[in-house]
Amino acid sequence: MATKKILNFDFEADELIKIKNLDLYYSSFQALKNVNINIKKNCVTAFIGPSGCGKSTLLKTLNRMNDLVVDCRIEGEVEIGGINIYSDKVNIYSLRKNVGMVFQKPNPFAMSIYDNIVYGPKTFGIHKKKELDEIVFTTLQKAALWDEVKDRLNKTAMGLSGGQQQRLCIARSLSVNPKILLMDEPTSALDPISTGKIEELMETLKGEYTIVIVTHNMQQALRISDYTAFFLLGEIVEFDETENIFSSPKDKKTENYITGRFG
Amino acid sequence: MNMLKMDKLDKIVITDRFIRYIFFICALFSIFAVFAICIFIFVSGLPAFREIGVLNFILGRNWNPSLNEFGIFPMIVGSIYATALAIIMGGAIGIFAAIFLSRFCPKRLKVPLTHLVSLLAGIPSIVYGFFGIIVLVPFLKSISPNGVGEGLLASSIILSIMIVPTVISICKTNIDSVSSSFYDAAIALGSTHEQAVFQVVVPAAKSSIFTAIVLATGRAIGETMAVIMIAGNAPFIPDGLFSFFRTMTINIVLEMGYATGLHKQALIATAFVLLVFILMLNFILNLIKGSNKRAEKKNKKNSGNNSHSIDISKNDRLDIKQINKKISRLKNAKFSTDLLKYISVVSTIIVVSVLLFITMFILIKGLPNITIDLLFGQSGNSKMTLRPAIISTAMLLFLSLAIALPIGIFAAIYMVEYAKTDSKIVSIIRVFTESLSGIPSIVFGLFGMIVFSNIFGFGRSLLSGSLTLTIMILPAIIRQTEDTLIGIPVSIREGSLALGASKVRTIFFVVLPCAVSGISTSVILSIGRIVGETAALIYTSGAVRYMPRGYMSAGSSFAVMMYMFSSEGLYINEAFATASVLLIIVFLLNTGIFILDGKSKKTY
Repeated sequence: MATKKILNFDFEADELIKIKNLDLYYSSFQALKNVNINIKKNCVTAFIGPSGCGKSTLLKTLNRMNDLVVDCRIEGEVEIGGINIYSDKVNIYSLRKNVGMVFQKPNPFAMSIYDNIVYGPKTFGIHKKKELDEIVFTTLQKAALWDEVKDRLNKTAMGLSGGQQQRLCIARSLSVNPKILLMDEPTSALDPISTGKIEELMETLKGEYTIVIVTHNMQQALRISDYTAFFLLGEIVEFDETENIFSSPKDKKTENYITGRFG
Repeated sequence: MNMLKMDKLDKIVITDRFIRYIFFICALFSIFAVFAICIFIFVSGLPAFREIGVLNFILGRNWNPSLNEFGIFPMIVGSIYATALAIIMGGAIGIFAAIFLSRFCPKRLKVPLTHLVSLLAGIPSIVYGFFGIIVLVPFLKSISPNGVGEGLLASSIILSIMIVPTVISICKTNIDSVSSSFYDAAIALGSTHEQAVFQVVVPAAKSSIFTAIVLATGRAIGETMAVIMIAGNAPFIPDGLFSFFRTMTINIVLEMGYATGLHKQALIATAFVLLVFILMLNFILNLIKGSNKRAEKKNKKNSGNNSHSIDISKNDRLDIKQINKKISRLKNAKFSTDLLKYISVVSTIIVVSVLLFITMFILIKGLPNITIDLLFGQSGNSKMTLRPAIISTAMLLFLSLAIALPIGIFAAIYMVEYAKTDSKIVSIIRVFTESLSGIPSIVFGLFGMIVFSNIFGFGRSLLSGSLTLTIMILPAIIRQTEDTLIGIPVSIREGSLALGASKVRTIFFVVLPCAVSGISTSVILSIGRIVGETAALIYTSGAVRYMPRGYMSAGSSFAVMMYMFSSEGLYINEAFATASVLLIIVFLLNTGIFILDGKSKKTY
């Protein structure tokens, strides 16, 4: 065990995430069918499609959160930074540190705002007050939350509004310096103003991070993403630059969906 | 910015697995404890069964240790009589009071009354026994045909007061949770509120009402200290409400102090018979739960498929128009349900006034007798004070919580965080934890005496007492922690895992901090149990009046001290004072739970 070699991710690769022939089953139900997709570095890639089409499932395979689901079985390859993340040699904690996740519903811990942010860095052995303060300042600034909370960092995070909580969760996921950020419908539980703020935030983050976002909101996909994948019944129907998907879709089913004819 | 230490990550994987095994072992503790208790009690009582013969022992009508006659039939009958009477009185009053509290009680009375009932549940059994001998027995003596106050009636009245809180709290919770669609449907058909409650809502909760009665039966049959003071304790089959009698529990406590040889083994065998009764009750409880689950599944399968068929032959059919006319003439026949409502009001009044009477009586008589000298003075042969009891109780509390808390919390963590939901092992652990919580304290006392005092050689010491208490409070800690952990949303755990934190770190730094108030509640419940415990401690940590010199020396807890005060007759004022101290402690603990309850209701 102790001598096991941990593989190092190559986060400079241009095609940072490569998925080959991926099938995923929940016991006997096949949730993903032969998925092939390559995701580019420092771009925003959106997954769209009707409910239950597998887009959230695919997102969760990227940081192995599906490991928590009993009876979940995976075939095929998911490569991040040149490494198959389902190989035995991959350290799952290191993977999740590098592939951050923001959830649909804001899920701050029942701690102070400050402790919410430093929880991650402490997990990986950073305990110096100065370093932690620096992380809190930088990540809250990046998440455009600093000005709103700088005077109450030691108050509980439960007292924040929904939109503030979600930005705190984004800041929290940035605190361990990930390279990839997975966002599972991050604005679906928020009001329009908070949604606007988070979309602005993604715009500023995308130079530095590779963002994959699941969204039900097609306008949102159009506004913020560089690439879009359209999912239907566990398959990727079409994957292209967002421009092309929305202006000249190749597949009839994609066209029906984006013009609101089903889903 | 963040330096990632790779070798540290490897260590995380290893410790994660290691700690998982620790959790698992803790989770198995309840199963282990139940088996250990059954086996040790059985093996220690086995010579008695062999020598006396099982049938002679159980059906023998004479108990006369000096003549080597060991028949416990009178005690079995005594236990059953007293329990049955208590269930009839206390069960009925409890059910009706629960219905009142759940469905008829004015809103502003609901919370205070519910808390009064939980206060009633927290009063130690020794206090009830003391109240019985001071108030109830003299009163019954004045109305008794044969001039005897002690006996079957006195015992069953005290037992029924003791089981009422159990019945009320279980019934109330379940009547509260009956789906409002039942009630609405009944009201929409023109039922009155009373009819809807008694004909639709209460029947919907009937299996949990039955559960409450079975649990209360277990509590009554295992009760020791309250009845020992008022039963008269003669080993005969009772022939009337005012005749002296003896229960199995009394038999054990009364004679264990001086019994040796076959006599001692016969007493342990009595405990085994008692244990068999309790385990049978547990078995019934599990049958109820099992059949409820099966019924639910069946309902899901058969929904829409009506198996009810009506056979109508043509000749005796009534004219539906006639019937409809009759219905329109009828007034709502609400007399009988109105009567039931008044019964429930009266029941609640009885419960509340009994509680107020007991507490007020003891506080009025006891508070003036609480002096600094009684609490903190030197205790010796000529004068007894509570100072040793304060020290001993604190020592018992510290050690038993220090052992039981980690085991209980780890067990709950295994069941919620690691085991698959609805897995077999979890349901088995739950069944055994339930069984453990139903075992009477006198049986724990004998187990502690056999294993910790004798086999481990700790003798009558605070150490033996603490270890015994550890097993007793474990079920409450496991259950409370489990409930709290289940209530914490998964999204919080995901948030931590997605940051790359290990499962163990997630549990200790994110999940457990959310569970603090729930775990504190279990600590308070355990403190209440320990402070009021008597039967389990007399033969493990001893009944002495001097200061403990350490964990290896004997020491009496508050309740044991009170038993000594009240059984000697010389210290009635001190007994009142101790009872008041116990009541005040119970009151403070209940307030603590109330405050924590309010805190734990926050949203995550």
